[in-house]
Amino acid sequence: MASDVFSQLVDAHYTPLFRFALSLTKNSSDAGDLTQQTFFIWAKQGHALRELDKAKSWLFTTLYREFLRGRRRAERVTALEDLGPVEADPPAPAIDVVAGMDAGLVVEALQEVDEVYRAPLTLFYMQDHSYKEIADLLEVPIGTVMSRLSRGKTQLRAALARKEAGAAKVIPFQSFPARKLS
Amino acid sequence: MNNVEAKFILQGYRPNGADAADGTFAAALDQTRRDPALGVWFEREQAFDRALSAKLAQIAAPAGLRESILAGGRVTAPAPVARGWWRHPALMAAAAGVAVIFATSLAFWPQRAVASGPLVDFAVSDALNDRTHGGHGPEAGALQAMLREPATRLGASLPVDFATLRKTGCRTMNLEGRDVLEVCFKRNGTWFHCYIARRSDFPALVASARPMLAERNGAGVAAWADATHLYVLVTPGGHAAMEKLL
Repeated sequence: MASDVFSQLVDAHYTPLFRFALSLTKNSSDAGDLTQQTFFIWAKQGHALRELDKAKSWLFTTLYREFLRGRRRAERVTALEDLGPVEADPPAPAIDVVAGMDAGLVVEALQEVDEVYRAPLTLFYMQDHSYKEIADLLEVPIGTVMSRLSRGKTQLRAALARKEAGAAKVIPFQSFPARKLS
Repeated sequence: MNNVEAKFILQGYRPNGADAADGTFAAALDQTRRDPALGVWFEREQAFDRALSAKLAQIAAPAGLRESILAGGRVTAPAPVARGWWRHPALMAAAAGVAVIFATSLAFWPQRAVASGPLVDFAVSDALNDRTHGGHGPEAGALQAMLREPATRLGASLPVDFATLRKTGCRTMNLEGRDVLEVCFKRNGTWFHCYIARRSDFPALVASARPMLAERNGAGVAAWADATHLYVLVTPGGHAAMEKLL
């Protein structure tokens, strides 16, 4: 593995990967570990991936799989059919409210969204992946991604409204240092 | 397309305009221009999404994470690349010999199995035409996860509790009054649809414990059975994709 290639990959992707991991793990320390773990898998196996332009999707897919592996993937798979119809016309988005909120508070609201919706929603808001790429990454059909985005946004609005209501009590988001290697 | 459908599609439209050239959104975007109410909704939706994306972009990775990754990468040795057996001339010759014997045996096999029958017809039609696939519920999720695992070989008995799968939300269809479950999964970038029926529901169907292979309308099909269940696996990836799983 050429170290300069590895450095370039890290520089290009570690922050978005960390954001994705943070939305999944709900914990900065675990998100840091998950991000590191993803790159270490690359360091060990990535030489097999000859097309570097596919590295981004490989890294995101690997991070997501590692997350699922870590929390026993069969724990909970939500059945879309069980959840009732998508809300036909969700409440009007509180744009000004969101714009005035602390970024950490917004992430906390995102973390309150059910995991099955949170993963595609986070990838969508990172804007680096099209819905087709999100479908490939999460290994679900395109229609499922659309449906999960729709339901996820509805849950996110509700979570933001709760955060806004309790904003005075919320401690601002803090970053935690990455764990040192043993 | 009505407004509900347009809204559903447009919720996947990224606010940075990266999807502007994606034809999937064309009709819905066109509708926002023709319907003022939908247009207002879309503007607000995009503003909301933009605000969310901006907030997410403010989240910085923890101090020291980059350095930890780089340091860890330096000490993580790449796994040795194993030399493939096909590169050893002696093993290659031996494998070729086995292949010739196997092919000859197949040619004279008394009952060359072919996957066919109403259950297979139903499965192929559903796999290729229906868009509402998916294994749902915790039981189906566990089965789906197992089927996704590269180490899981298909073509043998599966850990199926038919009644529980059905009760807990696994996709269930009806074939002439008999229940058929479906769980879909992705392997090697290809979708597979596994249909499961109770053997007692199809007493007339002759099934083998050994997978019977067929190709139907370009789809790869494998059918097999155990003591209690019939399994039909269908993939739009064709015969080659199917063989990799068996």
